[in-house]
Amino acid sequence: MKLDVSAMENNFAAHAAGGEDDGGLFGAGADLPAMELPTCPADFDGFQKETKEMLKHKKGTTTLAFIFDKGVIVAADSRASMGGYISSQTVRKIIEINPYMLGTMAGGAADCQFWHRNLGIKCRLHELANKRRISIAGASKLLANILYSYRGMGLSIGTMIAGWDEKGPGLYYVDSEGARLMGSRFSVGSGSLYAYGILDEGYRYVMPVEEAAELARRAIYQATFRDGASGGCVSVYHVGPNGWTKLSGDDVGELHYKYYPVEAIPVEQEMADAPAA
Amino acid sequence: MSIFEYNGSAVVAMVGKNCFAIASDRRLGVQLQTVATDFQRVFKIHDKLYIGLSGLATDAQTLYQRLVFRHKLYQLREERDMKPQTFASLVSALLYEKRFGPYFCQPVIAGLGEDNEPFICTMDCIGAKELAKDFVVSGTASESLYGACESMYKPNMEPEELFETISQALQSSVDRDCLSGWGGFVLLVTPTEVKECVIKGRMD
Amino acid sequence: MECVIGVVGRDFAVVAADTSAVQSILVHKTDEDKVMVLDSHKLMGASGEPGDRVQFTEFIQKNLHLYQFRNNIPLSTAATANFTRGELATALRKNPYYVNVLLAGYDSDVGASLYYIDYIATFHKIEKGAFGYGSYFCLSLMDKLYRPDMSVEEAVDLVDKCIKEIRLRLVVAPQNFIIKIVDKEGAREYARRAYTDSPPEAATSEAATVAA
Repeated sequence: MKLDVSAMENNFAAHAAGGEDDGGLFGAGADLPAMELPTCPADFDGFQKETKEMLKHKKGTTTLAFIFDKGVIVAADSRASMGGYISSQTVRKIIEINPYMLGTMAGGAADCQFWHRNLGIKCRLHELANKRRISIAGASKLLANILYSYRGMGLSIGTMIAGWDEKGPGLYYVDSEGARLMGSRFSVGSGSLYAYGILDEGYRYVMPVEEAAELARRAIYQATFRDGASGGCVSVYHVGPNGWTKLSGDDVGELHYKYYPVEAIPVEQEMADAPAA
Repeated sequence: MSIFEYNGSAVVAMVGKNCFAIASDRRLGVQLQTVATDFQRVFKIHDKLYIGLSGLATDAQTLYQRLVFRHKLYQLREERDMKPQTFASLVSALLYEKRFGPYFCQPVIAGLGEDNEPFICTMDCIGAKELAKDFVVSGTASESLYGACESMYKPNMEPEELFETISQALQSSVDRDCLSGWGGFVLLVTPTEVKECVIKGRMD
Repeated sequence: MECVIGVVGRDFAVVAADTSAVQSILVHKTDEDKVMVLDSHKLMGASGEPGDRVQFTEFIQKNLHLYQFRNNIPLSTAATANFTRGELATALRKNPYYVNVLLAGYDSDVGASLYYIDYIATFHKIEKGAFGYGSYFCLSLMDKLYRPDMSVEEAVDLVDKCIKEIRLRLVVAPQNFIIKIVDKEGAREYARRAYTDSPPEAATSEAATVAA
């Protein structure tokens, strides 16, 4: 077995092992940067590419939102992963922008958090300047314009802006490629295809809030089952004329056994001895 | 993505007092897509010898079939079961045979030898044996498994405690891995009996 | 953008596949049967490279016939599945067949069964499964709607829902599908699903405009 000594090569580990001054990450000494910085000589494009690679901590995600006769339902899982490693099972992927508007996160965690917060600020300022709440169309356009101006620089965001404004329920899909789509149902993230399967089959425009919430919950749950990068908890929000309310937050670990209470005895595969015909 | 991570897996074996346990997850995936949740990675060689094969599922199956074949030939010729140490050498030899086009598997071998002495060992995909007295791990969740086993393992555990420990270690480790989990399979072997158990777990 | 779907019901199995023969951006034909009837009680739904797919499924079929001629007894479904896996596994490290297989069969002693065998020879007995891009949309639907005791009508209805979803969501979705079943009566074509001119219920903003 080849011994992997790459971990010993960076300065941080060498220092910690040396035991002198033990400053940790930041005490690595003035001449020794704690982490290797990408150099930026003449090749600026290369620098950009490198920074993009560094920021590739994408979250596997399933988020969805749809409009129905009683408002908008927004739901998401809560897993954050880095490659195969699950870095958190309790991420809040539904961002409460203001009492009438929600945003969902898919893509880079930092990018989503920062730009949603930024959008929140812009929406509030709009409210103060114009003495009325910003429309969903307007808010999503603000975000889309910002993202469009950063296009090609490595932002990674796939979001839905959902809420209630003067025109009623609103739902927009906005991403870092610059797209902004209005629609009645969307799902975003690595598990979105699985969620669409459930959503399309069960969706009707007219349904009770409970049924709509259950459809969203089930869609996210089925996605977490099939998609390795989605999981944790299923949060479901409803946005009505009086703003959003959080309807539920269920741990998928328990939800599975709620949907399938008595586990059927699994069929074991036979490889060694095939049954005679 | 590494070919070892294509299907996703987690295998662990632990030694107790005159007994051992071997456990694996039950997911069969194709990268992030879960195809089945009743996949078997721990196989029986004889009553007191088991092998867990993490890594590429197809190679695990091929390797298992070849190992069973070679073990049956041995039984016919020698009229006895293989000792765990001998079996480990056989696995190692089969793996090294394919040195330049390896089976993408990392085996975990666990068995009771003469005088019911527990034996566990793991290997890399080309057959470098690594013996251990306490526990061995492999698969996509191996890093988390090392952490869990390192902190939960105690020497000379009785069978009941060993079963509980290995189950907890497996479960808490796969809960930090996207590519393994979806239930677990635990096998506890004492000189007198074998306990097989499918354990429930998070299904995400 | 191939799609192969398989479901096991109470005492039968259904295999469905699209019938498009595609090469890069060109559709050669839209009635290519990708579900081969191996023998009287076996179906093999295959997807993958066109040359490999035809060569491999025919190879399996002929070997099955040969076995039956020699021994006067057909190979069981489990044995066929293991044989198929063996052939794929040996080919894998020589010159691989790029074929994914769903093998369904009916045996008088074990009933209906379905096997998942992908091109790298991963072998697993399943109750429901799918290959190709369509699998992303179908699997979640089948997880939710599948029951082990489904009747033929219910199972075909489930497959229809999957086809509907594929047509709705998959870019350049295949136009036509073929559905075959195998039960104690034998393996046979059950139905074809041709693309009708009326577009599928589009994922438009109809609700949004209604609300607005």
